[in-house]
Amino acid sequence: MTEPDSIVFVVDDDPSVRRAIKRLVESMGLHVELFGSAAEFMNSSHPDIVSCLVLDIRLPGISGLDFQPQLVAAGIRIPIIFITGHGDIPMTVRAMKAGAVEFLTKPFRDQDLLDAIQVALERDGTRRQQEAEIAVLRERFESMTPREREILPLVVSGRLNKQSAADLGTSEITIKVHRANIMRKMQADSLADLVRMAGRLGLSGTK
Amino acid sequence: MATQPVHTELRKTGIGVVGDVPWGTHFFMFYETKQDLLDTLVPYFKAGLETGELCLWAVSEPLTAEEAMSALRKAVPEFERYVADRSIEIVPGQQCYYPGGDLDLRWAIRNWTEKTNSALTRGYAGLRISGSTAWLERKDWKAFCDYESEVNHSIGNWRITALCTYPLAGSTAAEILDVTRTHQFAIARRNNGWEVVETSELKQAKSAIKRLNDELELRVRDRTRQLQAVNEEMRKEMIERQRAEEALQEAQAELGRVTRALDLGELAATIAHEVNQPLTAIVTNANFCLRRLEGVTPNLDEFRAAVTEIVNDGTRASAVISRIRGLLMKGASRRAELDINRVIQDVGILLRNEFTRSRVFLRTDLAADLPLVAGDQVQLQQVLINLVMNALEAMRTSTARPGKLLIRSAKSTDGVLVQVQDSGPGIEPGLANRIFEPFFTTKAEGIGMGLSISHSIIESHGGRLSIVPVSQGALLQFTLPVIPTMPHD
Repeated sequence: MTEPDSIVFVVDDDPSVRRAIKRLVESMGLHVELFGSAAEFMNSSHPDIVSCLVLDIRLPGISGLDFQPQLVAAGIRIPIIFITGHGDIPMTVRAMKAGAVEFLTKPFRDQDLLDAIQVALERDGTRRQQEAEIAVLRERFESMTPREREILPLVVSGRLNKQSAADLGTSEITIKVHRANIMRKMQADSLADLVRMAGRLGLSGTK
Repeated sequence: MATQPVHTELRKTGIGVVGDVPWGTHFFMFYETKQDLLDTLVPYFKAGLETGELCLWAVSEPLTAEEAMSALRKAVPEFERYVADRSIEIVPGQQCYYPGGDLDLRWAIRNWTEKTNSALTRGYAGLRISGSTAWLERKDWKAFCDYESEVNHSIGNWRITALCTYPLAGSTAAEILDVTRTHQFAIARRNNGWEVVETSELKQAKSAIKRLNDELELRVRDRTRQLQAVNEEMRKEMIERQRAEEALQEAQAELGRVTRALDLGELAATIAHEVNQPLTAIVTNANFCLRRLEGVTPNLDEFRAAVTEIVNDGTRASAVISRIRGLLMKGASRRAELDINRVIQDVGILLRNEFTRSRVFLRTDLAADLPLVAGDQVQLQQVLINLVMNALEAMRTSTARPGKLLIRSAKSTDGVLVQVQDSGPGIEPGLANRIFEPFFTTKAEGIGMGLSISHSIIESHGGRLSIVPVSQGALLQFTLPVIPTMPHD
């Protein structure tokens, strides 16, 4: 069996509900893993791939709603779909505010659950991709010399070479050489490209 | 002689062996020589002057006023000042007793009174006197003894210290006895020193005081013991009461728990959850099947598994329902012989706060000598709570005047009758035959289970819950059959 490229975790204390969800979600060609409680989920290891969590609110031990901030605190940034027997408005607001993808009332429409899972997986995929890109950019940034890292913000803030040279007390030609190195090391095709990369790295152009 | 309050404050006599005495001390000394007089009276008046008393020294032979004056001058620093402000008077003895040449002891007593008053008015602490009797003629002895006796009796109320001096030489034994009788105590020279000679009266008084003191101490000790015992008793009682209160609180909490556990709203939520879980699984599995049926080649094993689970979950949901029904209908096992009046009273206590909050006045009209019924106490409580809470809610909608609720119990033809009547808006006639239906409600937040379940509970007890049409408010009643009387064997 090949490694799945994504995974759906289901936490519900009712085995019958768990199995039905697994059957339904697997029929869409997705990989599903089941847990009876929040603790069970926390104690298992999760592969580092695109995933989402279908979480029942009424659970033995800690409730689904209280589990959500625990996950955040533990640095697990997994999109959550809540399912509950009866959801009231405050409960829903609380869950959505904390970043839940969807809040479904049991018994839910199968399509609603599948749609929510789709959205959740996409959201996780996008996040992971962005994080990977930033990791690459950071690696490139780290490969530069300290002087180049110092000059980069000046360049992206739109200062002329002459001005940057004056700021740093060096010659214009030196700045030009550094600038070429920065473009090459960051693999930027254009100044606009470099500005975008600096933005993603959180390097503000303006001083 | 007007009396003044008795003063317990002590005065210095200046005479070593006597020490401090209270106001109203009347004592005497027998002297032999002039030196005897100076030895005692000089320190006596020195102490008086130095403690702010007005001093009056009536001298007579063998001492002269001049001798007394010069002796004091030597002994008392700043003596001239005392003389100048008339803090001390030294006068011939006769002057105090012979105002117009004749002995006038009435006058003498008045004189002491006036002197004392004048001393107090002038800001002195009191009066200190010493009188000598050397001038006394034998014929006046009897009168003088009477005078001394009167002084001795009344002096205790006055801020006076009096030291009388009698010449020992020439005194007869009878006279000595007289003097002893009319004074509180004496000082006398013995072996070159001065000693206090107590009179038998003083001794008696002292021993009486000691006896009283001892008795008092005994009584205090006795009383303290009694108080301690009472305290201990009270402490025990408080602990006992605290325990009782704790027990009562526990009992109330327990009662509350029972009631809450059977709270119909919570019961409904539990039912909802218990039934919802299998329903969720059924719906999800059925949806899965539908999706599979649309596929080209449905996997039959998978399909069979899903349908089997649907059947199982359906059975499970149905089991939940019958479990709840069973809970309500549970038969004889929990039945006990009940006094329905007790159940009504318990509910009244349990809902006391609800009545207060709803500003509803509860009246109960409970028939005496009701037969016992066979019932489940908690379930019957539940029915009554439900009827009362409905009534309270109905009356809350018409808040104009405080509501009235009447719970009545009575004998009926086939058992016991309980009625709950409120002063609310009443039940619309059109709804009367629907209010026992499950999920029928007129309340904004009601679930419509209360009366339905109450109805089932009363039916399971072999009774009947019904509405009685009344002109004002609503009247619901239920009957319960009595326990058939078993013949004893």
